[in-house]
Amino acid sequence: MPIPILKLHNYLLISIQTEIDDITAIEFQEDLLDKIYKTGATGVVIDLTSVEIIDSFIAKVLGDVVAMSDLMGAKVVLTGIQPAVAMTLIDLGIHLQNIPTALDLEQGLIKLHQELGD
Amino acid sequence: MKPQSSCVTIQKEWDIVGARHVARDMAKTLGFGTVDQARIATAVSELARNIYLYANNDGQIYFDMINTIDGKGLSIIAVDSGPGISDIAEVMQDGFSTSGGLGAGLPGVKRLMDEFDIQSELGKGTKITAKKWVR
Amino acid sequence: MDSKFKAIVVENSETIVEMWLKEVGTLKEVNRTATISDEVYKSTNREFVDVIFTSIQTQGSTKAVEAFSEKIINLGWPLSYITDGLQVFRRVTIDFILQQSDRVDTEYISNVLASVDRWVEPIIRILVNEYTGNWENIVSLQRVALQELSAPLIPVIDGITIMPLIGTIDTDRAKLIMESLLQGVITHNSEVVLIDITGVPVVDTMVAHHLIQAAEAVRLIGAKCILVGIRPEIAQTIVNLGIDLTNFPTKSSLKKGFMTALEITNRKVVDVKPDEDSIEKLIESLQGE
Repeated sequence: MPIPILKLHNYLLISIQTEIDDITAIEFQEDLLDKIYKTGATGVVIDLTSVEIIDSFIAKVLGDVVAMSDLMGAKVVLTGIQPAVAMTLIDLGIHLQNIPTALDLEQGLIKLHQELGD
Repeated sequence: MKPQSSCVTIQKEWDIVGARHVARDMAKTLGFGTVDQARIATAVSELARNIYLYANNDGQIYFDMINTIDGKGLSIIAVDSGPGISDIAEVMQDGFSTSGGLGAGLPGVKRLMDEFDIQSELGKGTKITAKKWVR
Repeated sequence: MDSKFKAIVVENSETIVEMWLKEVGTLKEVNRTATISDEVYKSTNREFVDVIFTSIQTQGSTKAVEAFSEKIINLGWPLSYITDGLQVFRRVTIDFILQQSDRVDTEYISNVLASVDRWVEPIIRILVNEYTGNWENIVSLQRVALQELSAPLIPVIDGITIMPLIGTIDTDRAKLIMESLLQGVITHNSEVVLIDITGVPVVDTMVAHHLIQAAEAVRLIGAKCILVGIRPEIAQTIVNLGIDLTNFPTKSSLKKGFMTALEITNRKVVDVKPDEDSIEKLIESLQGE
């Protein structure tokens, strides 16, 4: 099942609700970039509140998506990373440096608003 | 009573997700906290992905509950009959990757678990044993 | 056979008690009970031997033994007092019974040993169980207390939380700290967390490593982490050990850290009643220049 991408003004909102397997992750990456291109969105919030596991592959896909969106002029904020997931990522040695994060969807939108200044 | 041991064969990509589920369920049954459940499930995910990517879809992950005088825990054994690893020291380095990944796989698994052992023979396959103890 | 021995022992209880008291009396020094007054020691010994006899006569009734062990535990006497006492009793009693008999062969001796062991064993079991049970209880209580003390999280103002760390940090504790830190950030909806290490005696590479990991994890879940309470000697060790804390904002005191936290959350402290006089004076003095 593809991950739904919602548009709100010039932002895109994504809430990942299902367990992600590799194919879904790659498809999501393509879908999102496509959507950024079509809508000209300037900000993206990816909410990970319901995600219980992020392994090195998913982390790489997420990191790539942030870098790619950046190239296309859309700023990405990851929100709602669970404590257990954060600790596991640190243990794995994945620090997702340079990737903006926020506590929840609301804070993520505030952060985008501040950084984009519109 | 939940099963004391279990085995998942890794053939399709979706089997990686299946292995994660089994790991998480068993960790929960054993009384691991949520963080350790995530650690174990993530470690299994890494091991399963290695089998999927490098071992020609030919491998199994065995789960065993340990209940001995040394304590309670979960033992995870990933066995494959893939090409094997030529330089174990190399794959255990942070940032080493042949697949363009983050290179966090095996050293990451070692950090996520309490015990870690890897045996590999070129052309025959690889066996990785990892254990986590209930604190 | 057993009842015959029991009769001998009960009939001659006075003699056995005397022998026992004499032997146990010499053990006072060994058992590190030297601080206890002779009087208390003697009366406790007397009570102990009474309990042993009651137990033998009542076929191992546990009530008296339990009451006695509780008393000894409360007095804080070592377990060795009890085990030694019972060993002495076993030795003395066996000697006594053997002396009473004119016909002593191997079978007889083994019967005596078996009987006396049967009397003493239940007492030892109860006493040791009571003791260890008591210890386990204390240890588990202390563990809970320690965990509660381990990593308190104090929300001081909307969006700002402080975690004061006190005492040595080992790997287990670091994991616990990280867990409650992250959980706390979520529950209190904190934008900034201040980790105060004023009370941490030593910051070595391992502690620093754990702190950096905690800070990175905090960043991943979407908050900021500031390390405060860095004493001069800790700053020295951090630099001398070559620990890189550049990605990790640090401040020397909680006060400075709190100010930074306010800045990050777009707030500042304003005096409700501005001290106008002093400002005017200041302006005057500036104009005078």
